[in-house]
Amino acid sequence: MIMLTLFHWLAKTSLAIALRDSTWAFAIIEVIHLLTLAIFGGAVLMVDLRLLGIGLKTQSRSQVSRELFPIVLIGLGVMLVSGFLLLASGPMRYYYNPAFRIKLVLFTVATIFQIALQQRAGRAEEQQVRGFYIGAVVSLLLWLSIGLAGRAIGYV
Amino acid sequence: MLLHLCQWLYATHFGTSIRESQYMFPVIETIHTLGIALLVGTIAILDLRLLGFVMRKEPVSRVARQILPWVWAGFVVMLISGLLLFWSEAQTNYFNLAFRIKILLLILVGLNPLIFHLTIYRKVNQWEIAPVTPLRARLAAISSLTLWTGIIVAGRMIAYLH
Repeated sequence: MIMLTLFHWLAKTSLAIALRDSTWAFAIIEVIHLLTLAIFGGAVLMVDLRLLGIGLKTQSRSQVSRELFPIVLIGLGVMLVSGFLLLASGPMRYYYNPAFRIKLVLFTVATIFQIALQQRAGRAEEQQVRGFYIGAVVSLLLWLSIGLAGRAIGYV
Repeated sequence: MLLHLCQWLYATHFGTSIRESQYMFPVIETIHTLGIALLVGTIAILDLRLLGFVMRKEPVSRVARQILPWVWAGFVVMLISGLLLFWSEAQTNYFNLAFRIKILLLILVGLNPLIFHLTIYRKVNQWEIAPVTPLRARLAAISSLTLWTGIIVAGRMIAYLH
């Protein structure tokens, strides 16, 4: 109920109206969203592959987690802002879209999970690896589902 | 000649079945979109290393050796899914300005690592642990990032320009 009121309010803001009326705004923001997906996705992928022991093996798990953490954080921020702007261009269109709802829930979970995972891995001793195998698999599955849900928004 | 080839591809049974199937095109397109992370995301990390933004303590050749297999995996995924998408839309793509620009940029982005490997990367042992990488290595990284940005933008624009 609160969400519905919020979405209705968002649809009436001048930001939403400006985005909706602009010819190229949606396309430009969508491209930014996609470009960030590349860098963010690549960084998450390499962190998870390292945690799984199949990538960047000459560096420790904690090193890779820490080195790529800024890219992951900036990526998350840009994805969130650009995603919000895409949403603002037509809130009511997304409110009733099941793929969007799934994506929103998964994104919230995945963001918390990814930050926690990399924070922990960044401080961990190299011997504690077992937990990170599971963490990496969960992270990969979460982000893949978000990507699929995101793509599905345009189709359902 | 190219146009005839595109028209022929477009009209083949296989091309038509992708185009007219309810699921084939969206599924391949999704693979092609998410594959961006595997191909361009991994390349971007190597480029950021060349620019000295990440993994500065790790020698460039070691990062390159470990990232390149994933880049090639991404390349295979993108090439196959991209060819299938093209197959089904060849005739319309042929006239699409964004598609033409994308192909041109793809050729350029292919030349970039070729030049990089034949020149400055040959002496990688001499500079890979330096705090600042040589200008030519940084230029290669910047052109790679710029070209891939252009490719993604052009690729997305194919759907907007008819």
